[in-house]
Formats: sequence, structure tokens, C-alpha cells
Amino acid sequence: MTVAEFAEKYSMEVLSMPEPAREIKGGYMGDLLSWVMGRAQADQAWITIMSNQNIIAVASLVDVACIILAEDVRLDESITENAKAKGVNVLTTKEPAFEVACQLSKEI
Amino acid sequence: MKELSLNILDIAENSVKAKAPLTQIILTESEDLLTIEIIDNGCGMTSDIVKKVIDPFYTTRTTRKVGLGIPFFKMEAEQTGGTFEIESKAESEFPNDHGTKIKATFHKDHIDFIPLGDVVSTVTTLIQGHPDSDFLFRHVTPKGEVFLDTREIKNELGGVSLAEYEVIKWIEEYIKEQYQSI
Repeated sequence: MTVAEFAEKYSMEVLSMPEPAREIKGGYMGDLLSWVMGRAQADQAWITIMSNQNIIAVASLVDVACIILAEDVRLDESITENAKAKGVNVLTTKEPAFEVACQLSKEI
Repeated sequence: MKELSLNILDIAENSVKAKAPLTQIILTESEDLLTIEIIDNGCGMTSDIVKKVIDPFYTTRTTRKVGLGIPFFKMEAEQTGGTFEIESKAESEFPNDHGTKIKATFHKDHIDFIPLGDVVSTVTTLIQGHPDSDFLFRHVTPKGEVFLDTREIKNELGGVSLAEYEVIKWIEEYIKEQYQSI
């Protein structure tokens, strides 16, 4: 399933979607950025509640399919702009991280 | 990172890469605050580069497009309600007084405070990896102080390398003993 399809199906709000056709091939959940940097895999959807600009760098480095911000976490506009410029998809949802993981598990 | 000592190691490695003859790591603790300063007399950076190193998409390495040592350290301080400062003087502009100073203050009682961790390993790893550079380590706590200056040790040892196993073991024990006595 692509990031755009997933966002649509689960009514997630799109904060940044420069690459809507990216295929989601797995998931990773975590908030300690150095840990995520070493363990998340390319093409996974990364679920987090962190919202500082470093998440865009980590997502770019790991090359995840998208960041999914749980519990209605939002980004400052400058960070959203940076995500678009760096080609990082970012979605946000009111659901807690566990529920997002359950949604993901149905689709991959 | 799971321990601040790993951040200190990462940042002090930048000092060594900046060809600093001396890198100082100074930890100052009060009841509720921890201040970490990493001060070097290396080649320093221009103000343009200083702005970039806080940006997670900058790195001096060429293998990847993002450098996260300083952005993570800044975030970890700020997420405790603390502060982060960086000052640098480039050798090209200040030939006699150059280097970089990083200062981060952490609120230890904040729930998002990351523990300091094994700072003794950080210091011994730096010394063993870079025996020709000098390091000054000072950890001031309300109960007392831990201190090590590799220049003093080199004076005592004559020409023996600090990377020798016996020497590095002795340095490790020397710091640990100081911690035990405070």
C-alpha cells in the first residue's frame, strides 16, 4: 500500500507528501531518535510522537516511507517545509501509536 | 542517545578532528542542574558553519547528508527545559585564539533527562584513541571534584604512550578512585 492510500484509508492528515507513491513495506515505532536511526529500516512507516526537526533528518537518513505522528502531534511550519524540501512524507493522526501500528499491520 | 556520555564522546571526537591540542570536558553539577562544557582549541568554525552544525542536515563527513551529534545534544538539553550554546572562533579569523566551546545545561529532575552514564569510559576511550592529543576532564559535584589532565600524566611518564594498556587501565582506576572518594 502506498503512503497516499494509507493516509486516505485511515483519514490521516497530510502534513507533507512529496512522495505519495512510496510503498509502505513495514513499520517501526520509537521515540529515542538515535535508537530509531540505528534500527528502523528503509521503506518502513515510522510511528513517533517526537516533533522536533531532528525527526526529518532521521527519516531522511533511514529513508523511511513516511513518518506517522500519533496522538495528534503537529509540526512547526518551518519543519513541515523542511520535510517537503527533503522529500519526507509526514502524516498525523489522533490515534495513539499502538492503534496506528494495528492499522499498519492490516495493510502489510 | 541513551546516555549523555555518548554525546560527549561524539562531540569531543569533533574537537580531535578539528586538530585541537587540548580538549576540556567540564561537568558541573548542582542539586538540580548538570552543565556539560566541551571546550577545544582546534581550528574552530566561521559563524556560517556554526549555524549549520545546529542544522541536522549538515555534516563534515561526506558519507551522509545529515550530522546529528550536535542537534541531538541540543535537543536532549532543551527537552529537560535546559539550554544549549555554541561559540566558535575560526583559526582563519583568530590565528592566536581559536576553538569551539559548547555548553549545555540539563535539569536533572525533569522526566526527560537522559542519564549521564559511563563518563569514565568516554574519557578513557578518547585518551586511548588519541594519545597524542591532550584532554582535561573535570567533574564538579556538590560533594567534591574529579580531575584528570593528560598533560600532567605525560610529564610523569616521560615518553610512554597513553594508549598503552597498563597506562589506560591506570587512568581508568585513577578516575574511578576519585569518584569513590567523593
